[in-house]
Amino acid sequence: MAISASALPHAHAEEHHAHDHEAELRREHLMLDPKPRGELNAMVMESMTSTSWKFWVVAGILAVIVAVALFGAWGYMISEGLYLSGKNRPGYWSLFLVHTVFWVGISHAGTFVSALLRVFKVEFRRPFTRAAELMTTFALAQAGIQIFAHMGRVWLAYWMFPIPNQRQLWVNFQSPLMWDFLAINTYLLASTMYLFLPLIPDLAMARDRSTGWRKSVYRILALGFRGTEAEWTHLRIALNIFAFAILPVMFSVHTIVSWDFAVAMRPGWSSTIFGPYFVIGALQSGVAAVGMVVIVIRYTMKHMDYFIRKEHFDAIGKLMLVISMGWAYFFFNDYMIQWYGGDSFTDALLHFHEAGPGGWIWFMMLITNVAIPWLVLWNKAWRRNPVLLFSVGLLINVGMWAERYIIVPVSLQINRMPFLWGQDFRPGIEVPIFIGTVAFFVLLYMLASRFLPLVPVWEVQEGQMAHSIRRYGKEPVVSVAELE
Amino acid sequence: MTEKNLLLAIFEDIDPAARAVDKLRELGVTDEHVTVISGTPITEAMLGRKPQWSNVTRFALGGAFVGLCVGIFLAYGTPQLYPIVVNARWIGVPPTIVVMFELTMLLMLISTFLGVFLDSRFPNYTPTEYVPEISDGRIALLIECAGELERAVESAMHAIGAESVKRAQAEAL
Repeated sequence: MAISASALPHAHAEEHHAHDHEAELRREHLMLDPKPRGELNAMVMESMTSTSWKFWVVAGILAVIVAVALFGAWGYMISEGLYLSGKNRPGYWSLFLVHTVFWVGISHAGTFVSALLRVFKVEFRRPFTRAAELMTTFALAQAGIQIFAHMGRVWLAYWMFPIPNQRQLWVNFQSPLMWDFLAINTYLLASTMYLFLPLIPDLAMARDRSTGWRKSVYRILALGFRGTEAEWTHLRIALNIFAFAILPVMFSVHTIVSWDFAVAMRPGWSSTIFGPYFVIGALQSGVAAVGMVVIVIRYTMKHMDYFIRKEHFDAIGKLMLVISMGWAYFFFNDYMIQWYGGDSFTDALLHFHEAGPGGWIWFMMLITNVAIPWLVLWNKAWRRNPVLLFSVGLLINVGMWAERYIIVPVSLQINRMPFLWGQDFRPGIEVPIFIGTVAFFVLLYMLASRFLPLVPVWEVQEGQMAHSIRRYGKEPVVSVAELE
Repeated sequence: MTEKNLLLAIFEDIDPAARAVDKLRELGVTDEHVTVISGTPITEAMLGRKPQWSNVTRFALGGAFVGLCVGIFLAYGTPQLYPIVVNARWIGVPPTIVVMFELTMLLMLISTFLGVFLDSRFPNYTPTEYVPEISDGRIALLIECAGELERAVESAMHAIGAESVKRAQAEAL
């Protein structure tokens, strides 16, 4: 029997190991790798101002797509009529509602990532909260466009406002569509204010470091912020109120969107679990979209490799996995109760989902929302791989689009009047309009990235001040102080 | 009346700034006459100063109350003004809760937002005492002191480790 002997580890070898571990911790975690504030500012300013010609080429292409696919197609539909869309008996709601729900879902990510993680003091959120908040505002703008397009005669949109008109037809506050109007507007205003408040100190930083037209604009937007104790106190209190209060607003928005369907006595829609099922679906698509945006920012903007690291991909990947599990739970719960109910119309609808002409979409939804995330995101190395994480995020969003497609136009084909049943849904001009909104969203985001600091520098520095490495025995461990 | 001067002392780190606050008290400059300016939030506790007064929470609560009233008015009041009785039903309570909730939250958040503006006196574009180094991580103490104390304050700040101490000039931001 061979005996191998090795020397007992020396104290200095252990010391060396501890130093290695400490260096690894600093490489891994942004909060443990501080830089002087002036350097952080310079990096963020440079990321905004270094723009290559490729950026403008992409922006130009997107602008053309927006002009043609969004405003061109929409204008053509207004002049010709709503018959150009896929709206028809029995699919009255068509794709406009699918896309409204899709964009409202994407918008949930900003609030979730920023507010919920702020409430729970989750530290990895710091460098990308603003990137997520921007998504909320821009995605809600796209949701609004879909609603306006769905109206047809968009110039009569003011009928939704509670303004007495000459016909004395007051808006009906007991209608879910009216709740939608209130909830989406509340969320849009609240999330825009929540985006702006923590931006003020960074706008003041940008004001102090820029010249020319940029300085003039930043000066106006920074409102005269200097950073006095009183200003920070008011800001801190307001951000805490916003973080707590915007969460129930966020939950209410997608719950109310779900009630557009759930309060109708239709097979497939009348479900008491539709509220939370829609909320988890919104988080599913939204967090996946945050993951995609963070990856694009990391690899296309200067210096972002310092702020966005593999630890962030890992954390977002874990969130996507947990939310995917939640979505599967709610999906199965909804499906199970409807299947068990024994209602013949519901049975026909469920069969139509799986075996109708669009059955492959139903299976694709399950594969992209459940099977793929579960197969990929359990693995730490795969979660940290940007190509894989981006692909999973994209597939989840395709899957979530498919979920809404099944809920709206596919489910409308089967109702309680068999003589009105349909077989297939033919989309129309909604498709180019949707492509236009996708291009518009990306274009707005690109332009904002040239002008707004995408990384909240003061929040990053505050986090770095709170973090330190201390020794527990010989092992370096991370400790976080609560500075607020 | 005693002449009052404004001095701006710039510190690189928080520890000397905290010592400077203590030293100013020793010299007879009270907290009300010292304003701390920084590029990252520094709590009052870090410098051993009294908590700042803020009305933002009161604005939020006031806004929530007004929002609730507007919600009640829209949900219960306006149907009286413009009655639409459908299927012989009047106003059900559950739907009105949705309207009241949304308006309560909306007005609460708008008032919180405006509260920051009012309490901080935003927007303020008039020239003010400030140096751009603050947003680069420096901590500034804006000290209002009697003319005869100026020299003592200046030398104390230098002794503690101030990067610079100078007469504060109001400049356009």
